[in-house]
Amino acid sequence: MLKYTIRRFAEMVFTLFIIASATFFLLAAVPGDPLADRADKLPENIRQNMYHKYGLDKPVLERYVITMRGMLQGDFGESVRMPGYDIQRLLSETLAPSARLGLQTILLGVGAGLLLGVLAAMCKGTWLDHAIVFFSVLMISVPTLVFGLLLQKYVAGELGLFPIIGWPKGKELWLGGWSYTVLPTLSGCFSYIATYSRLLKTSMLDVINQDYVLAARAKGLSEGQVVRRHILRNSFIPIITVLPMSVAFALTGSFFIEKVYAIPGFGRYFIEAVQTRDLSIVLGQTVLMAAVYVLVVFLVDILYTLVDPRIRVGGKA
Amino acid sequence: MEQAIDKRFVIIGCKDADKEAIARPTITYGQDAWRRLKKNPIAMISMAVLALMALLALLGPALCGQDFAAMEPTMKNLPPSAQHWFGTDMLGRDLFARVCIGARISLLIALVCTLVQVVVGCAYGGIMAYFGGWVDSVMMRVIEVLMSLPYLLVVIIVMLVLGNSVPSLLVALCVTSWCNTARAMRGVILQLKSAEYVMAAQALGAPARRVIMKHLLPNTIGILILNIATSIPNYIFQESTLGFLGIGLQPPDTSLGVLISLGQAAMEFYPLQLIFPAGALVLIVLAFNLLGDGLRDALDPKLRK
Repeated sequence: MLKYTIRRFAEMVFTLFIIASATFFLLAAVPGDPLADRADKLPENIRQNMYHKYGLDKPVLERYVITMRGMLQGDFGESVRMPGYDIQRLLSETLAPSARLGLQTILLGVGAGLLLGVLAAMCKGTWLDHAIVFFSVLMISVPTLVFGLLLQKYVAGELGLFPIIGWPKGKELWLGGWSYTVLPTLSGCFSYIATYSRLLKTSMLDVINQDYVLAARAKGLSEGQVVRRHILRNSFIPIITVLPMSVAFALTGSFFIEKVYAIPGFGRYFIEAVQTRDLSIVLGQTVLMAAVYVLVVFLVDILYTLVDPRIRVGGKA
Repeated sequence: MEQAIDKRFVIIGCKDADKEAIARPTITYGQDAWRRLKKNPIAMISMAVLALMALLALLGPALCGQDFAAMEPTMKNLPPSAQHWFGTDMLGRDLFARVCIGARISLLIALVCTLVQVVVGCAYGGIMAYFGGWVDSVMMRVIEVLMSLPYLLVVIIVMLVLGNSVPSLLVALCVTSWCNTARAMRGVILQLKSAEYVMAAQALGAPARRVIMKHLLPNTIGILILNIATSIPNYIFQESTLGFLGIGLQPPDTSLGVLISLGQAAMEFYPLQLIFPAGALVLIVLAFNLLGDGLRDALDPKLRK
């Protein structure tokens, strides 16, 4: 187990290194540089100073080595577009709203989705099942964006039940200011509800027909025990395979929900930074997002063994 | 001797010798799937809706006789009328023609990207599963890196390098899209290679071509269709998101995403300008989803009667 963990950790670091390099060279391949439109009107010596300050006067490979060395020490460099900002300061100001939105969305979406999935599978063939299937197909067909806009217009605008835009600040950053978070969370969670209810239903129907469920029933276990110990545990395996993608995706920001509801999350800065080729910010955010993703995948692999005793870490039983 | 045989036996010919052969025409996999798909009313309705949308996307602008990019300053923000079926937008452009053009772009993106995804994904996944070993692990690592790069980063950079046009949008959406298909195909082929019925077919002396055509392909098609069914709506969503974020197409080109984003600007006073393009988008995606569900049921060999 320890050996496996160490190997996986080394692989994770290697993957992150590749991703950082790929990001660097992708940005370097884009024609133009972040200073071009500002510096062109300046006198020659000031321009050279500016290029020198951000190290843009050096050849690409040298900049690559400098950037990577800095990254190892946690220094991603100063933003070119927002003087005085580096990635740590930007994150400390913008990560909390994105993370809270993501957490609420995923908890509500996956929770409700799994519940509906179990209901649909247990009441297969009844009106409840048909209603759930119908609504999940409908929900999956309406883009999050359209949900967000319609909720904003009708629930917040016409009915005035919730604030139209904004996000809790200061002391209420994590807990409190709930009325602001209701609509963004709702608009984000529909797609998760639909995906997870469909997935769990299919997987449960698969498991219900297995011989070991019949065997469990034949042994005289109560219906509750059969469902909890045998059906649910086995039907969660496909769920766990897709869950890390959703979690990583939700935690690192839903760009358009942030844009619709004017939430000060970090998605907005990411798009701006890529468009202006602001390397330090892009690199920082990319590495962070990739790290979250890789870490979640790793945790899920560990989780597998807890849910499914047949899978053993390290390949040996 | 010959006489004796003649008396005791009658020659009846050998015309019944092939009675044991399968008399009914064999039904191919595709015919069977089509037969079952036809019995599914929801799938057939979705197909009709899609055909209608495709037809409108192609012929709509000619049908209503309006140009999608022509601006008429005197006809801003009109409600739907006989001349402008969906009304006009804030610059006096005919909304019906614009929605048709937008739907055309969305359908084009869905078709082209899916084709690329399937071809590249199958080839890549097949090679991974066939060779195994270090080829497999290197190719798998490539996929891992591509998948953990933020998709917006890749898309924005491709759009920056190639410019805001329809072909570059297609390239941007295709760059990383095949990874999931490749992974799924690899998994399925690895699983199928060791399945008992494949072994049984080989043991009975079936040639490789028959094993591949009759056993491997039909069984991967289920997964592939599922993959395609989920990715078509995804592409349409992605395009609309990009359009909304202002990264996608630039005027005069338009798409459903661009129209939704313009509709958002006007939704306070003219909600119809948001509802028409959003409705078209939802209708297309809903039809694709329902058709995908029907196809999956029809193509799954396990459900074959």
